[in-house]
Amino acid sequence: MSLPKPAMRGLLAKRLRFHLPIAFGLSLIAAAAFKFGVTEPRKKAYADFYKHYDSMKEFSAMKEAGIFESVRPTGK
Amino acid sequence: MFRAALRLSVSGARSLTRTRPQYTASIAARSYSHGKQETDEEFDARWVTYFNKPDIDAWELRKGMNTLIGYDLVPEPKILEAALRACRRLNDLASAIRILEAVKDKSGPHKEIYPYVLQELQPTLSELGIPTPEELGIDKA
Repeated sequence: MSLPKPAMRGLLAKRLRFHLPIAFGLSLIAAAAFKFGVTEPRKKAYADFYKHYDSMKEFSAMKEAGIFESVRPTGK
Repeated sequence: MFRAALRLSVSGARSLTRTRPQYTASIAARSYSHGKQETDEEFDARWVTYFNKPDIDAWELRKGMNTLIGYDLVPEPKILEAALRACRRLNDLASAIRILEAVKDKSGPHKEIYPYVLQELQPTLSELGIPTPEELGIDKA
């Protein structure tokens, strides 16, 4: 039984031709998934928090709690 | 080998089929766009001539083999035969057996290449009295 001649040249090139596009594609998908799964929700959470943030109200609450040194709670 | 990868990613993997027949037998892994591309047959003939030098020395044998192994190909049986005969002239049985191990390693996942090469080299191996790593039991770790 005589073995036929197999392909012996360009084996790495063939493998890369197949796997590199997949590697690039998967990397791009991973980056897109992180952007839309993590960074965009995070940015939205901050934006939503600050959209109706009343800084004076928060400051008064902190002042009454007595955490500041430069301004004491009312009545002290 | 790495130049092959660079060539692919820069030119776009899709264009590879067009240039494939001439590309793969690289001339010393240089990819110029000028000058004639060496054919596979010319490449093989050049290497057979290299190893057929009657007064080849040990350094040239090692250099030749290391360069050859660096290419993206498994050397043709006729190149390997010339290399094995060079080992015989240099009384270097160790390198002869190592060449066989290198062929198996270069094949990577393509398990059909090594048996084919051994089949083609059988007459030369018998003539020169070179045992295969399998016969010596050194193919398993």
